[in-house]
Amino acid sequence: MRHSLLKVAALSSAATLTLAACGGSDSDTDATSGGGEGGEGTDVKACLAYDVGGRGDQSFNDSAAKGLDRAKDELKIEAEEVEASQGENDAAREDRLNQLVDAGCTNVIGVGFIYATAMGNAAKANPDVQFAIIDDASEASAGDNVAQLTFAEHEGSFLVGAAAAMKSKSNKVGFIGGMDVPLINKFEAGFEAGAKEVNPDIEVQTKYLAEDGSGFADPAKGQTAAEGMFDKGADVVYHAAGGSGAGVFKAAKAAKKMAIGVDSDQAKTAEADVQDVILTSMVKNVDVAVFDNIKATVDGEKQSGNIVFDLKAGGVDYATTGGKVDDIKDKLEEYKQKIIDGDITVPEK
Amino acid sequence: MPLARRAGPLLTLRLLFPCSTGPRGAPRVPGTARPSLTRRPTISSQAPTKSSDGSTRAGDVAVRLEGITKRFPGVIANQDVGFSVRRGTVHAIVGENGAGKSTLMKILYGVQRPDEGRIEVDGAKVDLRSPSDAIDHGIGMVFQHFMLADNLTVLENVVLGAEKLHGIGAGARTEINRISDEYGLGVDPDALVADLGVGARQRVEILKVLYRGARTIILDEPTAVLVPQEVDELFDNLRELKAEGLAVIFISHKLDEVLAVADAITVIRRGRTVETVEDPSSITSRQLAEMMVGSELPSPAIEESTVRDQVVLATRGLSLAPAAGGSRDLLHDVTLDIRAGEVLGIAGVEGNGQAELVEVIMGMREPTSGTVVLDGTDISDWDVRQIREAGVGYVPEDRHRHGLLLDAPLWENVVLGHQTQEPNVKNGMIQARAAKDDTARIVEEYDVRTPGITVTAGSLSGGNQQKLIIGREMSHHPKVLVAAHPTRGVDVGAQAAIWDQIRQARREGLGVLLISADLEELIGLSDRIRVILRGRVSGTFDPDQVTSQELGSAMTGAGKESA
Amino acid sequence: MNLNPRRIALTLAAPVLAIAVAFVITSLVLAAVGDPVGTVWKVLLDEPRPRTLVNIVNSATTYYIAAVAVAIGFKMKLFNIGVDGQYRIASFGAALVAGYGWLPGPLNIIFAMLVAMLIGGAWAGIAAWLKVTRGVSEVISTIMLNTISAGLVGWGLRSWGQRPEGSNSRTTTPIPEGSRLEGIALIPDAPNRVYTLILLALLVGVAYWFIINKTRFGFDLRAAGASETAAVASGVDYKRMIFISIVASGAVAGLVGMPAFFGLDHAYGMNFQEGVGFVGIGVALLGRNHPVGIAAAALLWSWLEKSSDGLQLQAGVSPALVYIIQGSILLAVVVAYEVVARIEKRLEQSQVSRQLQAREATEGAPA
Repeated sequence: MRHSLLKVAALSSAATLTLAACGGSDSDTDATSGGGEGGEGTDVKACLAYDVGGRGDQSFNDSAAKGLDRAKDELKIEAEEVEASQGENDAAREDRLNQLVDAGCTNVIGVGFIYATAMGNAAKANPDVQFAIIDDASEASAGDNVAQLTFAEHEGSFLVGAAAAMKSKSNKVGFIGGMDVPLINKFEAGFEAGAKEVNPDIEVQTKYLAEDGSGFADPAKGQTAAEGMFDKGADVVYHAAGGSGAGVFKAAKAAKKMAIGVDSDQAKTAEADVQDVILTSMVKNVDVAVFDNIKATVDGEKQSGNIVFDLKAGGVDYATTGGKVDDIKDKLEEYKQKIIDGDITVPEK
Repeated sequence: MPLARRAGPLLTLRLLFPCSTGPRGAPRVPGTARPSLTRRPTISSQAPTKSSDGSTRAGDVAVRLEGITKRFPGVIANQDVGFSVRRGTVHAIVGENGAGKSTLMKILYGVQRPDEGRIEVDGAKVDLRSPSDAIDHGIGMVFQHFMLADNLTVLENVVLGAEKLHGIGAGARTEINRISDEYGLGVDPDALVADLGVGARQRVEILKVLYRGARTIILDEPTAVLVPQEVDELFDNLRELKAEGLAVIFISHKLDEVLAVADAITVIRRGRTVETVEDPSSITSRQLAEMMVGSELPSPAIEESTVRDQVVLATRGLSLAPAAGGSRDLLHDVTLDIRAGEVLGIAGVEGNGQAELVEVIMGMREPTSGTVVLDGTDISDWDVRQIREAGVGYVPEDRHRHGLLLDAPLWENVVLGHQTQEPNVKNGMIQARAAKDDTARIVEEYDVRTPGITVTAGSLSGGNQQKLIIGREMSHHPKVLVAAHPTRGVDVGAQAAIWDQIRQARREGLGVLLISADLEELIGLSDRIRVILRGRVSGTFDPDQVTSQELGSAMTGAGKESA
Repeated sequence: MNLNPRRIALTLAAPVLAIAVAFVITSLVLAAVGDPVGTVWKVLLDEPRPRTLVNIVNSATTYYIAAVAVAIGFKMKLFNIGVDGQYRIASFGAALVAGYGWLPGPLNIIFAMLVAMLIGGAWAGIAAWLKVTRGVSEVISTIMLNTISAGLVGWGLRSWGQRPEGSNSRTTTPIPEGSRLEGIALIPDAPNRVYTLILLALLVGVAYWFIINKTRFGFDLRAAGASETAAVASGVDYKRMIFISIVASGAVAGLVGMPAFFGLDHAYGMNFQEGVGFVGIGVALLGRNHPVGIAAAALLWSWLEKSSDGLQLQAGVSPALVYIIQGSILLAVVVAYEVVARIEKRLEQSQVSRQLQAREATEGAPA
């Protein structure tokens, strides 16, 4: 459940708040515990603690892994990665982070907000190590040596919302969320704002699949909800429902309507037979956040506080695979620029 | 024990020579692994005595066992068993429960393989690896519990699994009619099995094995489920079979029946053959019993009446509505009185309401109407525990299902059923020490043969389990003992001991409701016998006067009821 | 009860056999995929760091209670798959109540635990009621109740939970400082501590042993589990027994989350441990429903689990390996118990007949 939540989490409000709370630019390139044996370029050893699924989940974790791989290539750093077991608690997560420190990691990145509490504790115990967490900006994980990497999911959602409105012929579009929580509300708010920006009269139907995480792993539910929207006249449906999205695509295929993907470029990653119904996807570039964080360390910079990856930072974006938005690409780029420039402020709720 | 050694019982020696050189059928090639495979169709389509190749003849040895030894870890089930069964005879195998009869038959029917020894069929050594091997060699078995599908016809039941022999249509019907006529089985191929009585079902089972080409038929305790008249009919059928040249192996521990029907009797005790009696008319059932138990049989003596006036248990108009789908009351207006010091026997063919009667009295089922009165108190709506606490002992019909925890140690089994009573329990706590002491006493007093009280109940023999149950129930000084088939599946020694214990308790004023299918037991123990038929209790018989035939008639509803 | 050496040997034989089989299967899997067999076992058998050791003990504490909850059902031949749901909903309810902190310090803890037992028992009681009155298999109903409880807790979190600023996770209100348990410094040199409520697990284990083995109620329960028919004939109210044992199982399941809640999490949220009830099933099987056996099994299980990180870091193998080991142990256990039980029975029967034969040989023929 949390896993799927992560998949869905996306996008950033604005600026890259690099709160250099603690100065010493060199503080983490040397003087770390354990053996960050000298790689070719630097002493940095970056380590990823994945959520369940780990590398190869074709989603959130994989995206983070991509960032790590890029850092290995480009920055010549050492790397290490560990994935979570099913059904563990914060003690197990904290132990994992500590084991990474024991293994000589200078940078420990927790992939997913589930690591929040564990990371807060581990960071306090290991003040010389640079920590980073994806998708969390809470007090629990905060610390002088913790970078909280979040995304402006509502900004990306705004763009796909605009795309949906421009493509809709019935003036009705739909949003399906996996679970009615603030995080997913962000997607809805951005989507609706984007659609209304294009067409103030457009009708946006909204449906949340479940009260709990099952809404992110229930394609049948997703399909039923999407079918309902198509029946009621919607012709583009955007989902922020993780695995349940597969059902949304299926329904779109059957109704000969369109759907919008989330997290990754789903026109590439979804089942082959439904890829052609995917208008675009709201992409959340976890790899960018991971790479940037490692690069900062290599550059001798110490990060802490909430760093939001927004449109400007390349943390979120819309996908163009399939060429279905080619005709409106100019307009979308226009909106994008407006958001980056601050001419449009996208609501989060 | 060396394989070749033909030890033990005299009998085999006597029989060996005339038969081992008998004429052979052409296909029978000694030494081939499965010589009869190719013969199968021939067997099934022709009556054995008429076979043109003259492979068998009355008097030839059909099956010979020699030096059969079967060991289970730590136990020798059969040791050096040997005997020969000739065509055209009924050969009885008798022995106590646990003597090794059933293992021996499983070996002969291919269910188990002997560790040592030799099996010959029609003079050729065979290796029986499975029941289908046995069938291929013309050996069939009729189990005690019938294996028939109620909702199918006789024809369908017979051809089931043997469709290749004569198809499932006219050919099969013709064959069934032929067999039925030839052996006088009187089976209608189109009757629904559900409509048949027990005796008829047994004949269908026999027909089934004949249909599959069996020329040696093993019958496992065939009379256990039959009333006397049906037993006679079965014996007539057996005589037909042997007249047609078949060999019948008849397993029983009812000695009178064995003496009545068998042409030869092999006695087995503790896995060994004691003797084969070639001329049953030369011995009495008493001698036979002594061979079985290896000692003098205790004699059941009729005692002085100990019946007192006080009624300890009474039922008034007990009725139990039919189960879903049934139309007849399971119990109908059952009114009984049991006095202190009295054994009231209930005779009846199984399934006529005995089990329901016991369940209602014990509180396991609510009667639809009527009352049960214990010592003047209406206990109709009490639950089992209250009834037991009030002094009703219970010896269940099926001790494995209702009487014991087979995987629990003996002492816990002594607690079972009395887990609210001293010395087992005080203040809700199990008193293991006291319960163990009490168990040790019961084991001693009731002669339960066990190495200790911590072994599991399941490791004891049936007789010793039953003695433990009787001891347990008696230990709490019941006013009434409800005993259903107390000596079923129990060896002769334990049977005598259990009867003695019931008599002893009766002398002390216990009222006993004795339900049994064993007429000898009923007549020997009861002060009065009543008969239950289709849920109704009818007739009162004086055990001193009544005969088995009279009871049998009442049990089947054929005869007139006496006062 | 019966402490002769053969029995002890046989009792231990099954788990040992199972672990040996699991060892072989896992080694074969490792060899087949080309992972370093030796390194894996070396990492697995290395003495864990004190910090990890504490985590192993803590995890085992949670699993222990879960397994006892499952074992209560097993004793009655009932399969309470719903321990997970009962645990979840009871933990949530207790966390909610404890978060309000109506009572001071320790009283709040005790109150919350009572609430947890009540909720767990009541939730299981639904399955019990369905089974007793409608004959619904507890397997089916508890599975369904698991799903329902997940939904209810999600809804409850949304209704009464809070979302800390910047967090994506909702939690209940954290309990007051005074109700947090610091833990016991059981293992030297460890920066973390063993849950104080390991004492609760101990208590649950002792109570379980005592009630099952020493009381009449326990006797009735075991009798009902061993043979429904014999128990009914002995005067046990079978339906009542079903009801009580399922509810008791649920009440204990309600306690499963308490050690971690008061010792670690202090609030119920998405980071609260999941799937504990299912682990409990495996641990109960492995521990043969015996209070001491379950403890050993819980430690083994959590030790394997905590090896996962080390295996990835030091041996470079997939964490799925740990699942393979756990899975093969469980599979082997089921088979091994069956095999050993048969051997046991056969040995006993042969021993009985041998002893009787020997006795009769000296005493002469039987009567």
